Amino acid sequence: MATIIEINEPKALEVKNFEFTYAKADAPSIKKLSMPIARHNITALIGPSGCGKTTLLRSFNRIHDLYPGNKYDGEIIFKDRNILTPKEDLIKLRIQIGMIFQKPTAFPMSIFDNVAYGMRLQGIKNKTELQGRVEKALQDAAIWKEVKDRLKHDANGLSGGQQQRLCIARAIAVEPEVLLFDEPTSALDPISTGGIEELVVELRDRVSIIIVTHNMQQAARVSDYTGFMYLGELIELGRTEELFVTPRERLTEEYITGKFG
Amino acid sequence: MSSIVDKIFANTTKLIAFGVLLLVAWIFVVLFEHSVESIKAFGFTFITEDKWAPNVEKFGALPAIYGSVVSTFLAMMLAVPVAIGIAIFLSEIAHAKLKAPVGISIELLAAIPSVIYGMWGLFYFVPIIRDTFGGIGISMLTAGIILSIMILPFMAAVTRDAMNTTPDILKESAYALGGTKWDVIKDIIIPYAKAGIIGSFILALGRAIGETMAVTFVMGNVHKISVDLTEPATSIPVTLANEFAEADSALYYSSLFELSLFLLVISFTIISVAKFYFLRRKRIA
Repeated sequence: MATIIEINEPKALEVKNFEFTYAKADAPSIKKLSMPIARHNITALIGPSGCGKTTLLRSFNRIHDLYPGNKYDGEIIFKDRNILTPKEDLIKLRIQIGMIFQKPTAFPMSIFDNVAYGMRLQGIKNKTELQGRVEKALQDAAIWKEVKDRLKHDANGLSGGQQQRLCIARAIAVEPEVLLFDEPTSALDPISTGGIEELVVELRDRVSIIIVTHNMQQAARVSDYTGFMYLGELIELGRTEELFVTPRERLTEEYITGKFG
Repeated sequence: MSSIVDKIFANTTKLIAFGVLLLVAWIFVVLFEHSVESIKAFGFTFITEDKWAPNVEKFGALPAIYGSVVSTFLAMMLAVPVAIGIAIFLSEIAHAKLKAPVGISIELLAAIPSVIYGMWGLFYFVPIIRDTFGGIGISMLTAGIILSIMILPFMAAVTRDAMNTTPDILKESAYALGGTKWDVIKDIIIPYAKAGIIGSFILALGRAIGETMAVTFVMGNVHKISVDLTEPATSIPVTLANEFAEADSALYYSSLFELSLFLLVISFTIISVAKFYFLRRKRIA
């Protein structure tokens, strides 16, 4: 029943018959979902609250594993392996698949230490290397000019929009292959939101991006592919410009025209 | 009509609140009033003199101050690492099924009256200390250990609560960068909860320094400064508890009041530092 277009480009991730059940839940929150994620593209996941889009996103870096009792079924293929197996090295996986959250999450440390954090976790201690990579990450996240004179200051002194760009800098500093954005602008004002959206688009050339958003305009503005989810299923996956103009599924059409939400 | 009721209600509560302030001031005034004779007689030498000899009307508070400081310091040294360990276990490591029962038992421990710690210390710990470290068992060391056991539950519970205020999303962010549980605990949770943790330590310190019953049993009330921790010693509250009944001269009586004034000032300072500096409500990150 779902309409999922073929993707002829290389794929960053491939979801196959994926099911996810939360601890103590009777029924799976995501049911038999299959979906390709194109490499070096931006894939948006849209759908009403509770449709499972954030649950799916949080499966890609297996952050669900922090809470006991959650259950995965099916496969998510990344670099020719199924990352849902128990033997998957979650530390390595999370370095390769980074994540940005709904709210800015500056750590209780300086701006510099925030960006250097992921690299230090990997054991990089060389000061020159750290400095170079921190500067590059901050530049790539379009925040270098604003913070270069106060790298030693507490990161919590930055504005919400600046903190979110700092989090993006922190995530790209470890050079991930995939970046997951979980409603990254839901706590931000329109101007900061615009800045983050531009940044997401610029990052596409070096990293594959999956972005969950409540905001259909945002999905339309930034993404190359859009997946519409409803009640734990993927209803439609298409090229963004086609999905929003000529949706093939009735549910998709009703959702994007605001008949339910 | 209702505005009049509101006004009466508001003024009544205001009165009660000011009453509390008044009470504190009153206690200070009374202690000070009774201390005047001793302050006149000894001046500053009261806290530098190490001789406490009621028979010759000579009162020096140094051994009691020394005992208070050393026993509290010992208690903190022993309790802090264990409290942090328990708090980390309860907030980050324990399975959900274990968290509640262990957490509740720790809060129950905090509810044990201090006199019971004292009795338990006297009958159970004193022989152990005597057999292990020598001396008579009634000692500074025993007092420090009993104090540490007594403040531990409170410290662990408050430290755990402080750690639990770390937002999940902040922890997840660190895990999402490839952090291990230990990385997240030491780099995110402890720094985030630092103010609350230090505040809980200082409150515990305040409780330890003023604690009377638990240590009265095991300390010995001997006014002698000794670096040997297995020797009996005394502290300010121990002296007060033991000697009021036998204070047979006005100066003796007044000296004890000066000691208590001293203790009150120390406790007030400690609690104020904890409350105003460390335990202010944190803004939500």
